[in-house]
Amino acid sequence: MSNNNDERFTGHGAEWRDSNLSREEANVATAWVEQKIDRRSMLTNKDRVEDVRDAMWQLEKDGEIIVHRITDQHKPVMAKTLYGWDKKIPTNQLWHHKSCGQCGNIPGYPASLLWMMNEMDISYLDETDQTSCTAWNYHGSGIGNIESLAAVFLRNFHQAYVSAQAEGRDPGYYYPLVHCGTSFGNYKEVREYLIHSAELRERVKAILGKLGRLVDGKLLIPEEIVHYSEWVHVMRKQIAERQVIDCSNLRATVHSACHVYKMVPQDVIYDDDVMGGDRVAVSTGIIQELGAQVIDYSTWYDCCGFGFRHIISEREFTRSYAIDRKIKVAVEEANSDVMIGHDTGCITTLDKNQWIGKAKGSNYDLPILADIQFAALVCGAHPYKIVQSHWHASSTETLMEKLGIDWQAKKAEFEAYLKQIEAGGDQENLYDPRRMITGGPGFKMIEQNS
Amino acid sequence: MSHHSTTRIQEHIGDPVSADAPVDRSKLEEIFQDIQGDLRFDHELNGCLNCGICTATCPSAHYYDYSPREIVQLLWTENLEGIYDAMQEKIWACAQCYTCAARCPFGNSPGGLVMLMREVAIKHGMESAKNVLRPFSRVMLKLISTGNQLSPDMINPDHFPDWGPNIAKIEAPLKLLRKAIPMATLNTTKTAWEVNLKTSIELYTIWEETGVLDQLETIDENLFDVIIDIMDEKRDDWDDLVEEHEDED
Repeated sequence: MSNNNDERFTGHGAEWRDSNLSREEANVATAWVEQKIDRRSMLTNKDRVEDVRDAMWQLEKDGEIIVHRITDQHKPVMAKTLYGWDKKIPTNQLWHHKSCGQCGNIPGYPASLLWMMNEMDISYLDETDQTSCTAWNYHGSGIGNIESLAAVFLRNFHQAYVSAQAEGRDPGYYYPLVHCGTSFGNYKEVREYLIHSAELRERVKAILGKLGRLVDGKLLIPEEIVHYSEWVHVMRKQIAERQVIDCSNLRATVHSACHVYKMVPQDVIYDDDVMGGDRVAVSTGIIQELGAQVIDYSTWYDCCGFGFRHIISEREFTRSYAIDRKIKVAVEEANSDVMIGHDTGCITTLDKNQWIGKAKGSNYDLPILADIQFAALVCGAHPYKIVQSHWHASSTETLMEKLGIDWQAKKAEFEAYLKQIEAGGDQENLYDPRRMITGGPGFKMIEQNS
Repeated sequence: MSHHSTTRIQEHIGDPVSADAPVDRSKLEEIFQDIQGDLRFDHELNGCLNCGICTATCPSAHYYDYSPREIVQLLWTENLEGIYDAMQEKIWACAQCYTCAARCPFGNSPGGLVMLMREVAIKHGMESAKNVLRPFSRVMLKLISTGNQLSPDMINPDHFPDWGPNIAKIEAPLKLLRKAIPMATLNTTKTAWEVNLKTSIELYTIWEETGVLDQLETIDENLFDVIIDIMDEKRDDWDDLVEEHEDED
């Protein structure tokens, strides 16, 4: 600023002067503050962070809560989190906690996950008795509060606990697997507040009691909050065994979701075998296991620009950020063929906000897929019936061409399938649709084979 | 000290040395107490040395006159006028990514503090909150009445022209495309998945008991009325179903 008499709305005092540093000098001066959010930068707080699960077990001992345990029936696999703590990831008998954004907008995301579980003979339940975590709305609008978020969390997880009774099985048979990154981050935060605040527990206990959602008169808290990408990560070797399409020619960039690894960061999986343990392991791990080249890029730690409110009502920010800080860098710097994500909002933002770039001469068309969609695709899932790639605005077709998939033939098959449904023909389903009703009027008990 | 003219800054944020307080002191204290009274406040704010790491990595700071460092400083120093001013616009710039929280050496969560301020802005019916949330009403209607935020019928070129022509790569009615998803829960158009009526009724109890409907009434009375009508209707439907079910038994 050359003229300090011109007032600016910057918050700087009148004594402020430009430093007039050269670009190199400015880089040196600010490098310390621009360090990325890699593992090292987050280890600084290690000694001051407690493992909330210790307090959770104590609360159970004190008779305050009941913990929904991950037991042998869930075939758990241990993973290491940020500080080297163990996290138990259930791999079987899973209750799908769907994502409202995924299901409404990119349905091939959950469909690919269920397809993969079918391929691997994993038992699961996809039912209608669940709500959104409501955190997208909360973070966007401020409508909601810690009590409502906690009550929704406890209600949904209680339903996961009792759902198997509809099939004549014991409570706790299914363990909840959270599809959305925001739900995952939100639930972890809320669980921490519930464990620490007797006042909050008391307030929501009254609500859950009214709903008939207590277990032996107590709140039910899950032992671990598990994101689907963690399931994919610990199952990555078994998934890769099913691979039928080579993808070693692909350069992939990974966008890790903020609400997955920046909210309650101590609960996030890091693996020394994945990017030297300095990046979030999920998604990168499976893509490497499948043989694609994962390319690091300078803005890997940046958010996607979703903004919760911004994606809906202030899209100039969302699209500018998505294009300039993510897509442009992935294409120009990393020469990426595909960007892989593991969260609803990020996939939506990065996928849908490329076309508008043409308005300012940014002609990018980078295919965007979730890790499990990519995995399903190279394991032979149908690109339209299962991966549902037609809901993606980005050019998934160019990706399929690089993978040697004849997408036009597959698209024609799908269009024929649509005609078949239209004519009243059978719909293909990944599970017996009768299982999706687990209670209330219209519910009928279905005998299970196993 | 006398002022011969008001500066742009004074016009926008009030003059700290003027005798005429733009907002009554008791109101400012009430607002701050509401923020500070949230059980999360002490967890989200532990101290601040103005290092600015939060702002250096903040996506919104790239594009807006917004700084998480400033938010933390205002709260840490209990600058009531500054807090009130930030609630007029700045807090709505935050993209809620929590990059600031992941980086703060003090373990602060500026993004979390912004949420407390947003909640309080709504509680006090601030015009800023009403203006900012007006375009969000369709989403709130969907979420509060159904328990799902995004529905397939929301994604169309009329609502998202900037997403381009490729949001519909296959020419077919939405209903048919949704039937072709191999998950029975997703064969819907008005909600992301089929929500059990019992689930919605339970959610309504949560909204009532936690004061969410009060928040909604403060911010948008018309939307509140619409949602109450929907809730009443669904509760009637539920009562009828339960009654039918009992008759069958």
